[in-house]
Amino acid sequence: MLKKIDIKPTDDLPGVIFDPQKNFFMIFGRILPEDGRIFFNPLLEWVAEYVKDPNDYTELHFKLDYYNSSTARMLTKLIVELEKILETGKKIKVVWEYAIDDEVIKERGEELKSISYLPFELRVIS
Amino acid sequence: MNNNTIFQFFNHLKNDKISFAYRGSFSNSVLAMATELIKNNMDAEHSKLRNKLSFLMIESFQNIARYADSEAFPEPETNSDFFMTRNIGSTFYIISANLVSNDKVASIRERLERVNTLDKKELNDLYREVLTNKQINQKGGAGLGFIEMVRKSKGKLPFDFVKASETHSMFFMQIELKNPNVESEQEPAKIEEAKAIQTLIAENDILMMHKGSFTSDAISPVLRMVEDNMNSMKLKVQKKIYHFLVEILQNISKHSYVINNDREGIFLIGFKDGVFNLGTGNYIENDKIENLKTQLDHVNMLSKEALSDLYRKYLREGRETETGSAGLGLIDLARETDDNINYSFTKVTDEYSFYSLTVKF
Repeated sequence: MLKKIDIKPTDDLPGVIFDPQKNFFMIFGRILPEDGRIFFNPLLEWVAEYVKDPNDYTELHFKLDYYNSSTARMLTKLIVELEKILETGKKIKVVWEYAIDDEVIKERGEELKSISYLPFELRVIS
Repeated sequence: MNNNTIFQFFNHLKNDKISFAYRGSFSNSVLAMATELIKNNMDAEHSKLRNKLSFLMIESFQNIARYADSEAFPEPETNSDFFMTRNIGSTFYIISANLVSNDKVASIRERLERVNTLDKKELNDLYREVLTNKQINQKGGAGLGFIEMVRKSKGKLPFDFVKASETHSMFFMQIELKNPNVESEQEPAKIEEAKAIQTLIAENDILMMHKGSFTSDAISPVLRMVEDNMNSMKLKVQKKIYHFLVEILQNISKHSYVINNDREGIFLIGFKDGVFNLGTGNYIENDKIENLKTQLDHVNMLSKEALSDLYRKYLREGRETETGSAGLGLIDLARETDDNINYSFTKVTDEYSFYSLTVKF
């Protein structure tokens, strides 16, 4: 089984927990690197391995305050990579969490949902 | 605020390595952020001045509170309290401006003229005398603030009063802190310059102005400061302003023209009649202008729907550039602003030009 990822959030970079054993996947906080690739490429490599032999049901939670446009592209890449799970016959779902008054994050979730083939739930949190 | 305003500001501040100005109501959080911003972003050669500079900024800031006439409502608003810190050559300047009632002008003037003529020993004597004689004025200052400013800065305190109404005057004061270890051929900045900048800021309804070198390390404290000052605004407005600044400042740090290892840039946040105006400016190589213009004209021409479609397309398919951002930044700004992205290029030399943007929310 893949080694779990547990990255603590900073001012500029998000927290990431990818834990296949506990079946818990979450990206949270704010993301504003100048070049999103430096942070995300290792995550993408991890996910590329994971999708070869994923859990029966994977639920990826996003709980973000803010992200920049360099990151938007990387999040999309992550989602596109996860679409490979659909080909294995196993289940996957994205849960996009947003605070009730946070229209910006809600709209961005809707946008990502519209370009993704994954089951994609927008979930308001209080 | 328009693109011409930004160029005017940049010209006023062209010798400033770093400068920060704030207009409006003052709170300790603004002070904390301003000091943090300057401390984090000042050149390493001035690092020994850090503590002194913080101390003097706090004194200056509290001086506004001490002498400000809390009863006076700034009318017109161009007389709002004003605070600025700037570094030119080897010297840091801390400028404050606030309304005082006309009947206090004479006594403030007298105190300042007095401390400005004393030498070191005389200042120490006066300091002790004021402390022991307890001739504390009703605001608790006894001129100790001025004495401390002169003692700590080892410089004079230039000041001026500008009549604002029958009852009040704007009180301008400048603290000067020179770094003794740095040689500089720069002309010292006069208080008249600070007055001109205050006028420009007030007339253009600017709340905050910052000029500096926007390298990636320098951006975080700027963003934190802006964020902490937006608490009272609606979340959506906060996020839009924040988003604009992230994209633009990162753009400056990536693409602006480098002079003396600096990626100089300026940003301004203005507010008028319920609308936020954001402006930025930086240098850019002349041979990058055509391409950039084409991109700007293109996104300005598209409807919001078309911009959204294009954005989604780029998200999914990508348009790999050297930094991987796929031109998303500009599309995103164009669809978030209520109007077009207004831009302007002003040629500075054969090598580079000044490039500015303004948007409204």
